[in-house]
Amino acid sequence: MQEFLQQVVSGIASGGIFASLALALVLIYNAMGLVNFAQGEMAMFATFVAYALIENGMSYWIALPLALVLAFAGGVLIQRVVIRPVERAPVLTLVIVTLGLATLINGLAGFVFGYIPRSFPSPFSVQTVSVLGALISFRDLGVIAVSALVLVLIYLLLQRTTLGLAMRAAAHNPDASRLLGVRVSWMLALGWGLASAVGALSGIMVAPILLLEPNMMQTIIIYAFAAAVLGGIESPLGAVVGGLIVGITVNLAGAYLVGGDLQLAVAFLIIVAVLVIKPNGLFGRPSVRRV
Amino acid sequence: MELLELEEVHAGYGPTQVLHGVSMKMAEGEIISLLGANGAGKTTTLRAICGGVRWDGAIKLSGRSLHRMSTEDIVRSGLAHVPEGRGILTDLTVEENLRLGEHLRRDRDQVRKDYVRVFEYFPVLRERRRLSASTLSGGEQQMLALARALLMRPRLMLLDEPSLGLAPLVVRAIFEIIRDINRADGVGVLLVEQNARLALELSTHSYVLEVGRVAVAGLSSELKGNDSVRRSYLGY
Ligand SMILES: Nc1ncnc2c1ncn2[C@@H]1O[C@H](COP(=O)(O)OP(=O)(O)OP(=O)(O)O)[C@@H](O)[C@H]1O
Ligand SMILES: [Mg+2]
Repeated sequence: MQEFLQQVVSGIASGGIFASLALALVLIYNAMGLVNFAQGEMAMFATFVAYALIENGMSYWIALPLALVLAFAGGVLIQRVVIRPVERAPVLTLVIVTLGLATLINGLAGFVFGYIPRSFPSPFSVQTVSVLGALISFRDLGVIAVSALVLVLIYLLLQRTTLGLAMRAAAHNPDASRLLGVRVSWMLALGWGLASAVGALSGIMVAPILLLEPNMMQTIIIYAFAAAVLGGIESPLGAVVGGLIVGITVNLAGAYLVGGDLQLAVAFLIIVAVLVIKPNGLFGRPSVRRV
Repeated sequence: MELLELEEVHAGYGPTQVLHGVSMKMAEGEIISLLGANGAGKTTTLRAICGGVRWDGAIKLSGRSLHRMSTEDIVRSGLAHVPEGRGILTDLTVEENLRLGEHLRRDRDQVRKDYVRVFEYFPVLRERRRLSASTLSGGEQQMLALARALLMRPRLMLLDEPSLGLAPLVVRAIFEIIRDINRADGVGVLLVEQNARLALELSTHSYVLEVGRVAVAGLSSELKGNDSVRRSYLGY
């Protein structure tokens, strides 16, 4: 039982990481009607930036927000420079563009930072604390706390501020929003910035666990896809719930059912199962349309 | 100075020309109706004014040229457009739709008063304010669109067939409210209508479009009394 509880808590920690990246996918899906295949690579690159800042003597708690701000700016820049010119192009063009972007960022990271895996510092100790007899690591608790904080901040931004309202309006109904004076194109760029920042958070949270190298996010992005699809690809809340479910499921399956090697297969199983049984996910709307 | 002025406006969609030199003008605080058969180009005229289609010629709002201005900037300079189809954001709640109407305004005290007025006109919107706008009926969505336009406090309102699909009694009420908004706030209203009889009653001047050209223009009271105009263009 205590062992089970331990697995659930680390599942929630992984879930927070998946949820952040899944939320990034959902934000961009809403802004562009398409999954951003470069999301994982953007997160990885931002993590390298955080690494460089820390290596140069900056404290973790300054480097983290700074890296998120830089990731935000990078996301806005990518939207303005790369995505906007092809905004109205057919879906296939956009798919190719984001795939190209992924390859480009991956190569750039290799070129600038090299391919040797580096250990990324964590501000949380790996020591454990006993809760109800279960040994829970401070690292898991720290990841859960930071993810929860950022997710709540994004929720408040989107649901409780005028800017967030304008962003949601622009993503769902650009033409009607323009008629209300909303600067749609900039709202979409802010959506990219926000997605980039929250994706970066997942990279920075996972790096101490996985070792940092250019391909670090390539498995995490699969879990994030699973989470986003499970939640209903258009729903931010769904991404978070989906992330937690995937995190816990994968962790428990790894511990009790299939072992670590097949955890990724479990994620694929979730994706396929959702697409077959409930294609709109847990929180998705009944009809799928391109926004 | 004229509130709105169109001079020899040509517009269309891709290769199809729809407007072939439309000219019209309206004074500050006036109600103008724009009439004509289906496909005459009424909606396209409104789209041209708010930058929704490419056009040539001249369009001026309070003397200022709208050429090459984005829809967002035109709206920000004091125009509210209730488009064909109403432009309701159905992913958002009723309240959020209204909020977007006034989100650029700085005069918060006046905004609060305007909300009171809006809910007096349309009590149903207050009852439904927390619900998704997609749950409103067609008529209620029309009310929401009008309420939202009022909250924008524009100098000029473009209304594209506000009576479409509404029960006669509701149409009467909506037209009364449009008149009221026009009188109380001095908002200019450019009204596109199929219901020519009502539109002529409400407006001071009218323009009748026929395949992208102004066929008849004049005082609404005169058009109303002119049997041949009524028969050939207005169909009643
Ligand atoms: N998006 C579009 N793309 C191509 N052609 C269009 C488009 N919208 C309208 N048209 C064409 O332009 C012409 C004028 O249309 P418009 O909508 O301006 O007419 P209208 O006077 O508003 O008619 P109605 O009373 O039916 O609303 C029509 O022939 C129509 O087929
Ligand atoms: Mg029309």
